[in-house]
Amino acid sequence: MSQTLPELTAEDLRGHAASEPLWMQERRLAALAAAAGLALPRSKQTPVETAPFTREALPAPTQVTLGPAPEGVRLLDLAEAARSGDPALERELGRQTSGSGNRLHLQHLATFAGGLFCHVGRNVEVKEPLRAEISLGDDALYAPHVLVVLEEGAKADLILELTGAAGSETAMLGMVEVSLADGAQLTYTELQRLPGRTQSYWPRRAEIGRDGRLHWILADIGGRLAVADTRTTLRGPGGEAQVLATFFGGRRQHFDMNHVMVHEGHHTRSDIEARGVLQGRARAVYNANSVIRKNAKGASGWQHEHTLMLSEQARADLIPELEIAEWDVSAGHAASAGPVDPLQLYYLESRGIDPVEARRLIVAGFLASLLTDIPIAEVRERIAQIFQEKVEL
Amino acid sequence: MARPELIIEGLRVGVEGREIVKGLDLTVRGGEVHAVMGPNGTGKSTMASALMGHPSYAVLGGSVTLDGRDVLQMAVNERARAGLFLAMQYPAEIPGVSNANFLRTALNARRAEGEPIPVMQFHREFKAKMESLQIDPVFAERYVNEGFSGGEKKRNEILQMAVLQPRIAILDEIDSGLDIDAVKLVAHGVSDMISEDMGVLIITHYQRILNYITPTNVHVMMQGRIVRSGGPELAQQLEARGYEWLREELGLQEPLEQEA
Repeated sequence: MSQTLPELTAEDLRGHAASEPLWMQERRLAALAAAAGLALPRSKQTPVETAPFTREALPAPTQVTLGPAPEGVRLLDLAEAARSGDPALERELGRQTSGSGNRLHLQHLATFAGGLFCHVGRNVEVKEPLRAEISLGDDALYAPHVLVVLEEGAKADLILELTGAAGSETAMLGMVEVSLADGAQLTYTELQRLPGRTQSYWPRRAEIGRDGRLHWILADIGGRLAVADTRTTLRGPGGEAQVLATFFGGRRQHFDMNHVMVHEGHHTRSDIEARGVLQGRARAVYNANSVIRKNAKGASGWQHEHTLMLSEQARADLIPELEIAEWDVSAGHAASAGPVDPLQLYYLESRGIDPVEARRLIVAGFLASLLTDIPIAEVRERIAQIFQEKVEL
Repeated sequence: MARPELIIEGLRVGVEGREIVKGLDLTVRGGEVHAVMGPNGTGKSTMASALMGHPSYAVLGGSVTLDGRDVLQMAVNERARAGLFLAMQYPAEIPGVSNANFLRTALNARRAEGEPIPVMQFHREFKAKMESLQIDPVFAERYVNEGFSGGEKKRNEILQMAVLQPRIAILDEIDSGLDIDAVKLVAHGVSDMISEDMGVLIITHYQRILNYITPTNVHVMMQGRIVRSGGPELAQQLEARGYEWLREELGLQEPLEQEA
């Protein structure tokens, strides 16, 4: 390969990936070549270009803790999956992102180190949620890759936690790829609880086959700067995708979230429900887009987003969009951001409840309507608990 | 504990730069029921809201003590924990928060850290209070005041009072918008709670609730002050003759202020 990035060469990558199968090494080099010459993504509202996750450097491997994998499921560290060889890994790794033209996607695909590989075989129905935790340490840069593949008719719930060493000032250039074959059903839960000084770039991509169903349950809680965009493509007819997104920013946290649903198949349905809380000087940039392509007849795409502001210094920019190229569809969006009602606080406090506890009650009430849509009780309780703990004056 | 005692002296309250309460003196002790009556817009509700610490009302002068402690220096939740309770005319709605959760949180706020009321005990006691006020038990799981009728909101205020057992309870137009059966029910609920350990201040426009709760003291408020005080007979006099004669007798020439 002749093309490389100024600070990152093919030679560097060969050393980084020495123990990997040849196809993976070649894919890394191809990604590096494709990244060369591309500009970094730009954003008016979010300082992506200057963030430390853009650094051209070799990341340290992440620590992955895994729950048990029942029969028909492969749940393992991505590095280990690469060593042992897996046809689904080779088939799916980078499939959705290598052609995206996004410099940071390609930089990730060139350099990723560790992560999670989850494969559920054809018609396997997993009863208990599968569990994994990806934990960052004290190094400067991490690049975990999460690949979840469900074969035809498979059903599973996955609960993934992102955590890190307290106080560490690290960066993450990660990626999630989810691939659901026809009739596969996945509930993907992610609790992002990175340490307060971590800066992360975390695209999530999913493709859903005919009559497949994907529920994203996302809680963005941690990090100093968290850029996470989620793009779900409903390829086959009859597919269904839902995003239940929660976020809670405080202090000077900055969240940049983007939820895109792309309807290609006819009679596909998507729904984005987001509820966020901001306190301190936190900032949220929230974009959502329901894209209904030509020929996606009978598709429906809906979005609802509400942000509760607990402080006057917090800021939210909400940009819901629709892009519709077919007549026979239903779609719409609603977005709002508003301050906590001082008369609600007064009422609660007039019964002896202190100001922090009063805010906790209001936050719990605000979340309630979204939490009731989460099918896994444990996840509901965890998110409610995390939100309660985060409230401060 | 000694009998509760709320002492208000020279209280002045403003709203949006306008003085509404203009020097009010009133003392309420445990076992007493004071009724503050008067035409609309004379500052009755403003006084009640200011006593509780409503964020839109500014205290411009005077002093308020509860059992010798300076109420005006306290935050809203501290006033409640000192024993002050205001049954509000327009209680807020809190979507997503059940009545039971709200009241349990309020009770626990009064208890020592790490010693919350056992959940089963709370629900048992809460259920008993609801029964005594003829409140449907589903109330417990409904969200605070959300979708409540006017009468349900008032009963919910009295239910909270029954659970929290304040030392001084202020009822701000608890009878307005209620039919006569609801007024009776609310009034009996309050009457049952009266003891040496609780003083009550009823703010009302009409005499009719006083048919079911006999006041020990009746005060008439006009133009931001108490202009006359007496016993229960004063309320009956007002019911029979209205407020106009009193205004003339007192030589209050200016027209009544519009409702605030």
